[in-house]
Amino acid sequence: MQRSLEQLQREFSAALLEPAESPAFSDAFLGRAGVDRLALYRGNIDTACQHALALAYPVVRALVGAVFFAELAIAYTHRYPSVSGDLNRFGASLAAFVATSSQAQGLPYLSDVAALEWTVHLARHAADAERLSGERVVALRPEQLLAARFELHASCCWQTSPYPIASIWLAHQAQAGEPLPRSLAQAESALIVRPRWQVQVLRASVAELAALHVLRDGGSMQTAIAAALRIDRDFDFTQTIVRWLDLAIFSAVSLD
Amino acid sequence: MTSLPQRSRALGVGIGLRTAHYDELLKRERCVDWLEAHTENYLGDGGLDLHVLMRLRETYPVSLHGVGLALGSVAGFSSEHLQRVASLVRRVEPQLISEHLCWGATAGRVFNDLLPLPLTREALRLMVDRVGQMQDVLQRRVLIENISSYVCFAGDEVGEAEFLNELAARSGCGILLDVNNLYVNQRNLGVDAAAQIDAIAPQHVGEIHLAGHLVTPAVLIDHHGAQVAPQVWALYARALRRCGRVPALIEWDTDLPPLEMLLEEAALARRSYDAVESGHAALA
Repeated sequence: MQRSLEQLQREFSAALLEPAESPAFSDAFLGRAGVDRLALYRGNIDTACQHALALAYPVVRALVGAVFFAELAIAYTHRYPSVSGDLNRFGASLAAFVATSSQAQGLPYLSDVAALEWTVHLARHAADAERLSGERVVALRPEQLLAARFELHASCCWQTSPYPIASIWLAHQAQAGEPLPRSLAQAESALIVRPRWQVQVLRASVAELAALHVLRDGGSMQTAIAAALRIDRDFDFTQTIVRWLDLAIFSAVSLD
Repeated sequence: MTSLPQRSRALGVGIGLRTAHYDELLKRERCVDWLEAHTENYLGDGGLDLHVLMRLRETYPVSLHGVGLALGSVAGFSSEHLQRVASLVRRVEPQLISEHLCWGATAGRVFNDLLPLPLTREALRLMVDRVGQMQDVLQRRVLIENISSYVCFAGDEVGEAEFLNELAARSGCGILLDVNNLYVNQRNLGVDAAAQIDAIAPQHVGEIHLAGHLVTPAVLIDHHGAQVAPQVWALYARALRRCGRVPALIEWDTDLPPLEMLLEEAALARRSYDAVESGHAALA
């Protein structure tokens, strides 16, 4: 039977996804081995997806172990198949998948760790920007600083969780040398930034994130500080601005 | 289409650019003729990979080798992906741009693998259209590579060399001849690799790929994780005799060895390349 190209590709896909469908497709191939060799393609496709997930989610993988991670990856790929020729885009929904997956029951923090890792993955490929120099900010008069609006680096992001996600992530970084948190019953906010090429995850306070939120939405430094002070009366904004500059969180400043 | 910018054929022998070799390549003096980067690893807006590629391109001619367009997919071809490739091409201004003779997507599902096309006139028409679209968007001539395949279709109407020659003649693209893939197909499918080389139109060949494969009891696997096999070196020499000094590349993607090993393989390939009379390449 001569198939159209469209039909051949449709049947080829069905045979890849559903091995039980493949015998009906065997006449498309020359030689009896053809249809059995589809298993090699299935293997390649699974491997590519698992490899992509392992690259984006090293901490999740370390937490659950390689064997469980491979099972999770297969189940994920089945539920959320790849839709891009760019495998760096594959895996965006792992946090959502883990949250509802029966496989990950008993690991309530896993979904939030996965969400953090996806943010880190995106930050790794975010657009580059010039860092705003500390001198530029120090040179501002106090009233100028308060009125100023800041542009945040494209990699800058944050996430809050009822679990110590930043501490869990840091415990898996060789250079951080931190132990795993002793208790999981500890809410944490994580700040994700890429000062140069290496993505960093830092513990942040709720007040600090409230301030960053205002700045990202185009609010002035004064409004940002006020938002932080409403949460924490002792919020040290001088120290926080120095930390932000060190982390290259700002790429530009505009003075009205 | 023949008026599209075509870069030099005299690039010499390059190696694939892999993350594990970034530091060493940045630190060392120029150690190889050129570098080939997998397009899809550099499609992000920014970050380390792109930064390294932009630094290395100051020293090395760069080729962008795509693995994600799945040009021969009837449904599921993504012009958005092509636009992302175009923006990378504008940034990098590569010497060579290539993709594969394959398909890889259906509506709503991308397989992220190079799947074989039947060698039919219908597939040829689709490939001519898609390669034309790619060259229109990139405003550059591209090279299309023969893939390794585990299956042969009963409905094939032409040989692979004839398919590629026709594709090149009709779309204005060039051919990226992967001699390891030819050998893998010879062993897996019984297609005579030497006869394929002898049938290819030499004036269209713009690059040659060399890589290692894995021998298993059932099939050879094109895993790009070993040294080039002696039989593949012989096919390379045959291709050089036929096509002249075409840029060649050592591909090594899995079980990556130290950079030095890739450079040794490239030096071997360079010896055969240099042995070809230079006048030969003037064909292009």
